[in-house]
Amino acid sequence: MSQTCQPIEVLIVEFQGRLDTALCVEMEAEVRATVTAPQKPVVFDLKGVDFVCSAFLRLCIYAYQQAGNQGFEVVNLNPSIKRVFKIAGLDMMLQDK
Amino acid sequence: MCATCLETRPNVDLYFQRACAAAAVFSQFTQEQTDRVVHAAYDAAFRNRVRLAKLAELETGLGKWQDKVIKNVVASQFVYEDIKDLKTVGVIREDPITGITELAQPVGPILAITPVTNPTSTTIFKILIALKTRNPIIISPSRKAKQCSDEAARICYEAALAADAPEHCIQWLSDCSRELTQAIMGHPSLSLILATGGAGLVKSAYSSGTPTIGVGAGNVPVYIERTADIPFAVEQIMISKLFDYGTVCASEQALVVEASVADQMRAEFLLRKACFLSPPQVAQLERVAFDSHQGLMNPAVVGQPAAKIARMAGLDLPDDVQLLVAPLAGVGSQWPLSSEVLAPILAWYVAADFAEAVNLCIDLNYHGGVGHTVSIFSNDDARIKQFASLMNAGRIVVNTPSSQGAVGGIYNMLHPSLTLGCGTGGKNITTDNITAAHLLNIQRIARRRENQRLLRADLHLFYDESLDPAAVVQAYNKNF
Repeated sequence: MSQTCQPIEVLIVEFQGRLDTALCVEMEAEVRATVTAPQKPVVFDLKGVDFVCSAFLRLCIYAYQQAGNQGFEVVNLNPSIKRVFKIAGLDMMLQDK
Repeated sequence: MCATCLETRPNVDLYFQRACAAAAVFSQFTQEQTDRVVHAAYDAAFRNRVRLAKLAELETGLGKWQDKVIKNVVASQFVYEDIKDLKTVGVIREDPITGITELAQPVGPILAITPVTNPTSTTIFKILIALKTRNPIIISPSRKAKQCSDEAARICYEAALAADAPEHCIQWLSDCSRELTQAIMGHPSLSLILATGGAGLVKSAYSSGTPTIGVGAGNVPVYIERTADIPFAVEQIMISKLFDYGTVCASEQALVVEASVADQMRAEFLLRKACFLSPPQVAQLERVAFDSHQGLMNPAVVGQPAAKIARMAGLDLPDDVQLLVAPLAGVGSQWPLSSEVLAPILAWYVAADFAEAVNLCIDLNYHGGVGHTVSIFSNDDARIKQFASLMNAGRIVVNTPSSQGAVGGIYNMLHPSLTLGCGTGGKNITTDNITAAHLLNIQRIARRRENQRLLRADLHLFYDESLDPAAVVQAYNKNF
């Protein structure tokens, strides 16, 4: 029996480079607005990100809370960034295998 | 369940969400980024040394602000100088011969319990060593020194943040309740406890299940050996005993003087406005300075000047008395002043010779000061070593004030520290002066370096029970 996959809409936000405090101050308001009450799963794509600051982690926590049952994930982490999420105890956002 | 208990559970988790996030961000920092943060915190603490010292004296009612300024200088500048060049990030040691490379990793969130006697200095010290090793720190201040400790933490935190440190790298507990401290101590996300406080607290920390570095109580004997320079020795002891009115745990508690120099020593003390008490005066002082029920010093005399204590005890002494010296016949609960009293009070014993003196020092050392510090004034290095080997003390300070001496970095080259390990005698894990190096998990990369001798041998030799060790060793050393 074959199953057809229904395409679903996912909100993907792409980040790049060094996500330091200065950058977060600049982009925070816009990202927050984007992920508030999303009504769909949300994904932060961190390909090419090599540093995350405290404010960015807070943003991820906010996005996770807002996404609720729809789900929130961070994907394409390089190992040092994956380590950051593990140390911070944010396993729930890491991509399932 | 009381309202406070209901409150503490969610609060505890919040402290750790924040601490773990700080640890995570810190894990990305280079040595340079880390050192910028440490420098900023040190600089701010140093600049506020006087204000914090005055706050501490005012809030605790103990000690003397001028001496607390010196403690703050040690805790900030001396500690900074000692740790600033330490490698605490990434590869810290490489040996091409052994093929072993060491890397430094942070331990994780640290709970720092700080005392009422040195509140701002201990807070500053622990913050600097934690920041240097990229560990988030949560300060649990003594409830009698909460405001000045919080202020010290706040000053360091704001400076660290301005230097791009992670948010919440420094936190301080909102209240000093036992419940909150216990909940934090036992939390699975806590990596290490630095417990600077009384025995009960240290034991509680060790029992929490979290790795702990604690301290012990001191009961420091000073041995005046016959080759000591007496005027010099008395000068040093006065400097030490009057420092912050005796609140440093490493301050001298008892003098053990060899008979041949006792009279000279007594005369030198009298010149410096010390008073030798008569037996009835000793009894009066005992009643005020020591709580026999609890078996502990009376908090009311801790860090108070000698003149005030004399008045409290109803002693008719000159108003400018600097130090109270109590000649005692023995050591133990029968002689309360042979115990630790953090005030300008010194017990006095005269010993006929080296053996008698060291026996007395052993008694004093074991009477509540195991593992902490002992002091000796002598110019005979053989005697110094002999003395040291017979004591159970992490620190044997020679020809220096003991208060400042044990702390390190001022009168000797021990690591400056406000947390002095007392070893297993004091139920601690080390006798070290605690510093940044204790707050790292060291990793070792071990490259292939075959044990040539072992691998050349026929391993079956080992299975032959009849062969003795010499024969096996000979076999694998053959032609080597």
